[in-house]
Amino acid sequence: MRKIWAIVRREFVERVRTRWFWIGALLGPVLFGVVFFLSGQLGRGGGLKRIAIVDGTTTQVGARIAEQLARSGGRANRVPAAAGVIDSLTAEVWAKRLDGFLMVTDAALDSGKVEYRGSNVFAGKEALQRPVGEALTVVRLQRAGVDPMLVARAIIPLRLETCKISRGATCGESAAQSFSLAYFMGIILYTAILLYGINVMSSVLEEKTTRIVEVLVSSLRPFQLLLGKVLGVGAVSIFQFLIWGVAGRLLLARRVSVAPGDVGAADELFQVPHVTGATFAVFMAYFLGGFFLYSAMFAAVGAMSSTEQEARQAQQPVAWMLVLSFISMFAMLNDPGSTLAVTLSLIPFSSPVAMPVRWAAGNLPASELALSLAILVVAIVGVTWVAARIYRVGILMTGKRPNLKELWRWIRTA
Amino acid sequence: MTSSSPSPTPILILDRVSKRFAGHTAVDDLSLSVPRGVIYGLLGPNGAGKTTTIRMIMDILRPDGGAVRLFGEPSGGRDHSERIGYLPEERGLYRKMRVFDVLVFLGEMKGMERRRARQRAGEWLERLGLAQWRTRRIDELSKGMQQKVQFISTILHEPALVVLDEAFAGLDPVNAQVMKDTVLELRARGATILFSTHIMEQAEKLCEHICIIARGRKLVDGPLGDIKRTRGGHHLVVGFDGSVGAAAQVFADASLVRKVDDYGQYAEVELATGADPQRVLRDLVASGARLARFELREPSLLKIFIDLVGPEAAQAGVRPDA
Repeated sequence: MRKIWAIVRREFVERVRTRWFWIGALLGPVLFGVVFFLSGQLGRGGGLKRIAIVDGTTTQVGARIAEQLARSGGRANRVPAAAGVIDSLTAEVWAKRLDGFLMVTDAALDSGKVEYRGSNVFAGKEALQRPVGEALTVVRLQRAGVDPMLVARAIIPLRLETCKISRGATCGESAAQSFSLAYFMGIILYTAILLYGINVMSSVLEEKTTRIVEVLVSSLRPFQLLLGKVLGVGAVSIFQFLIWGVAGRLLLARRVSVAPGDVGAADELFQVPHVTGATFAVFMAYFLGGFFLYSAMFAAVGAMSSTEQEARQAQQPVAWMLVLSFISMFAMLNDPGSTLAVTLSLIPFSSPVAMPVRWAAGNLPASELALSLAILVVAIVGVTWVAARIYRVGILMTGKRPNLKELWRWIRTA
Repeated sequence: MTSSSPSPTPILILDRVSKRFAGHTAVDDLSLSVPRGVIYGLLGPNGAGKTTTIRMIMDILRPDGGAVRLFGEPSGGRDHSERIGYLPEERGLYRKMRVFDVLVFLGEMKGMERRRARQRAGEWLERLGLAQWRTRRIDELSKGMQQKVQFISTILHEPALVVLDEAFAGLDPVNAQVMKDTVLELRARGATILFSTHIMEQAEKLCEHICIIARGRKLVDGPLGDIKRTRGGHHLVVGFDGSVGAAAQVFADASLVRKVDDYGQYAEVELATGADPQRVLRDLVASGARLARFELREPSLLKIFIDLVGPEAAQAGVRPDA
């Protein structure tokens, strides 16, 4: 027992001492911040920064639209409708000096028809629909003699508050929050399991190539050595999470204070997730489960390889299982109840990423969660049993990597 | 060579131990017994099964047949790891770890308390002149210094049995000397040393007991002095002082001489069965040779070794894996 503890401590101390650990600890949140920000930018649909309004109106409609657009963050120059102006603006758009232009005439007030020409008409439609519609409504109402105060109050925009119902009780979590929670849990689980699994692999490989393993297994059983190693690296990952957690909190808190109340598209999509105790428990359970499962496999890969290059090749099938479950995360977020999502959250090799994502995204029956966890535990026991046998034989072998037949013999005879 | 007083319970007994790998039998029905407090040489050409035997003693490999008894108990090295120091043939250390930390960690692996491991590691680093390197990383050390660190890690916990696989392989001359001195010192303190080697000159100088194996089988074992006596008595060394006379004719007499290694001014002679060494002396003098030296001698260990395993096998390198 004391020997296992010494292994755990060595793995932990030596890893935390490296420069790479602290670079990871600091860069992790920055990286997540960048992903966060980029997703926000994508959610904005590109945005409209510079547009022109070809104002063919005699009323104040054109001015009103420009004002309304300016309020939602864009910049719109009004140009009077004249011969040749369309052609010159088209050329401007083509030269990327302008996102697009809006053509408004007096007829718009009655017909509601306004034309937009631009490089990205999809983004244009997204960004213009509401402000232009509102501007028209305001002008119409004012012309009908309605009190401007009343008009202002009538056009207060809709803010749809969503609230997730889970286990029969409203929990006060918005759709945006659960989406970002699911998204982040997916990314962190995938990254951490892969990263620390590979850490276990290179640790096994180091002891094998330096032959220290011979001295070690003459002092404690190979399984104890493997156990100590996995626990030690696992402890490093949890320490890393703690750092990320604290840093992430600070980062998010700062972000909120920078943009108070401004409800841009990105903010609607990503909000500070509300992490309940249950969510935290699910996350940790699947992280640990996934980590044990994958690090056992990575350890076996390390044990059967003799060089870094060999190991890098041999770990690909293992890593791909993880990559696949990560990729399917996006499909699962769209429909957490789909057959694909349910299947992936039961298969032990994908459930460590899939299940927490589904948990965060939607209403999950407790029975499914229990079943998935049970399968995961059984798989860990089985996979570890096989991996430990490969490990036992592999760490003493040198020379070329075993083929499947030899591997089978290792498992049988170990 | 001194033959040590036989101790009632040998520190290590191998009882008909065998190990087979996919293609071949590495160790075949091997029995041996190592008395307490001796320096014991496990000798054999490369590929003889020395490393496999040691790995079975250390519990790294499980024998397919037979049993290992250590310290009088029917169990392998792992159960006694706090009493055994083991230096494998291929050596390495954690490259990125600090010297002192490596030693403490490996001491803990041998069941030492952390505090004691720290204390002893400090003492040994001091003693072998590595004190100022204790906080440096292993990969900053020269190869010779790494060998010293490795050697310290083997004996840090003051083991009663020290197992050295190819003890002197790859050591630079200075470290070979350090190793030899330490082995003798450990022996003087009552430890038992089991080491394997294919270099007979070293074994001859150090070992009290030997076991020679080839192709996984034992060829001979016992106290080195006994082995030399039973296999000796038929060997002559003849040195000439300028004129060799008709010595070649004397050596060619099959009733006197079975085999001769004639170097011109020097010859090693193996007598034929029942031949009288005094007659060889008389015949040589009569042949007109001027003798500088005439010596009845025990055979060298190398000679015994070559006779037993055959000259090609003794050249080493039967198989690259040991």
